[in-house]
Amino acid sequence: MIYRGLKIDDTFAEAFNMKASRIIVTADNKKWAKNACLSFTGFATSVIACGIEAGIEKELNSDMTPDGRPGYSILLFSMSRSQLEKQLETRVGQCLLTCPTTAVFSGIESEDIIPLGKNLRYFGDGHQISKKIDGKRFWRIPVMDGEFLCEETTSRVPAIGGGNLLILSTNRKSCLLACEAAIESMRNLENIITPFPGGVVRSGSKVGSKYKGLIASTNDAFCPTLHGITKSKLTKNTGCVLEIVINGLTARDIARATKIGIESIASSKIKKDVVAISAGNYGGKLGQHRFYLKKIIK
Amino acid sequence: MKPLILRLKKQLRFRLDGSFLTINNFKNVSEFKKLKIFYGNKLYDISQFFLISGQDTKNIIIKSSTDKIDNIGYKMKDMSVIVYGNVGNSFGKEMLSGNLRVYGNTLDYAGAGIVNGTIHIYGNTRNYLGGKPVGKNEGVVDGIIFVHGNVGNYSIQRMRRGVIVVSGNIGDHCCKDMVSGSIVIKGKIGDHFCEGIKRGTIVTTQKKIVSHYLTANKANINFFNFFLKKLYKIIGRNIFPKKINLQRFYGRKDNESLAEIFLVNK
Repeated sequence: MIYRGLKIDDTFAEAFNMKASRIIVTADNKKWAKNACLSFTGFATSVIACGIEAGIEKELNSDMTPDGRPGYSILLFSMSRSQLEKQLETRVGQCLLTCPTTAVFSGIESEDIIPLGKNLRYFGDGHQISKKIDGKRFWRIPVMDGEFLCEETTSRVPAIGGGNLLILSTNRKSCLLACEAAIESMRNLENIITPFPGGVVRSGSKVGSKYKGLIASTNDAFCPTLHGITKSKLTKNTGCVLEIVINGLTARDIARATKIGIESIASSKIKKDVVAISAGNYGGKLGQHRFYLKKIIK
Repeated sequence: MKPLILRLKKQLRFRLDGSFLTINNFKNVSEFKKLKIFYGNKLYDISQFFLISGQDTKNIIIKSSTDKIDNIGYKMKDMSVIVYGNVGNSFGKEMLSGNLRVYGNTLDYAGAGIVNGTIHIYGNTRNYLGGKPVGKNEGVVDGIIFVHGNVGNYSIQRMRRGVIVVSGNIGDHCCKDMVSGSIVIKGKIGDHFCEGIKRGTIVTTQKKIVSHYLTANKANINFFNFFLKKLYKIIGRNIFPKKINLQRFYGRKDNESLAEIFLVNK
């Protein structure tokens, strides 16, 4: 179908059930809050090898944070509870505790509780101070710049990961500009993240490989350099394909982000170079959720 | 559903046990209206004491209350009780959760043994605020108590955790044997304050109590502003002005206590 001059493929994005959590990171100023968050969300692009998928959800002004300082909210996604717990504790310990001026709080509530600063408190070597206020426990851990304040626990909620958009363009420059427009429109949207570098991934994968032991390999059907020698899904004039992976707390959040992304490309000047908008799936056999592009933009 | 409103009909000669409001777990208002209560040495219908209107038995408003009514909010769980007028002894004693407010004064043992929930006292309270209930070894186990006025003697005994905010003055022999928790006192503090304290945080403007404590180096304490912001959310007002000079004291000079004092200079 054609949507505002943009070709939309009749396909769907296949997504998976995941577990998610949200934390709020604050610091004396935005610069240090961002430093902490970038460190925390580094090497968290895909559960295939990173353990979790994490990203900055949105920027928070001083009046939106628990301690009245600027900060960011971060969403973390994982396939298993244990991996989410482990990665959260490790990353808080190595990236947030170490970063000057920061504090960390839970950003989500449910009955499924997971530790945040519960074990990290032992870093205080007996000098840590517990404070329970309004039913929530916080730990004050003495560090060299004063103290690190962190909430004892956060929560885990069901979520969806792997919602995606494929942008097919005649050349790499226009494809990247289209992706940037889409990512910019999704920035600060609640309940979603785009975990890959800058929100964009070039190495879309298919399940399996000709090599034993590899669970994923390059998505040859969308590689322009392989057009002609594999069962390609690309037209002849497609010179570049980039993917935007969207993880969200609910299906509605992912669908909304997908729609906003497509709309932003459709309303940008770069759409003349965009061949089509498509989506990645595994034939519907693996994922529990399907996001049909046509339905979303209706 | 409209809150259940009880208006006291007559002046009380004897003391009235108000714990019937919170320990009976009424399913509906008709069940509540059938209740009989002891007054003196006789049983009476509740309607002989109160004009009753509204339906929600979990959301109660008491009007024209007097200090003859004791035990309001006793072991209260997941309820809201607002009292206009004074109340008697043991207001919110051993409260489990919910929100309890009085727009008046209280007698002794307000918030004694509170386990959780929030108590707002918009007047003064007499002795033994947050005291140890009979047979218990701890005073405030958890929860929040906010007193807008002054607090009497022997208050806050063996506090385990939780938060107490006093906008006015506090009497003698308070905060004895405190185990932990946080206390903010804006006014003057009586004698023998914090005797036998083990841990805990005191925020005060009174210099006289810090003489036995070690001065900590001046550093940024992330917790303090967070704590004030949390309290603002709970009590709906700023306790201190935005710009304050803060000095921290940590640990006593004469024993191994790890109590912490924030001295606020306005």
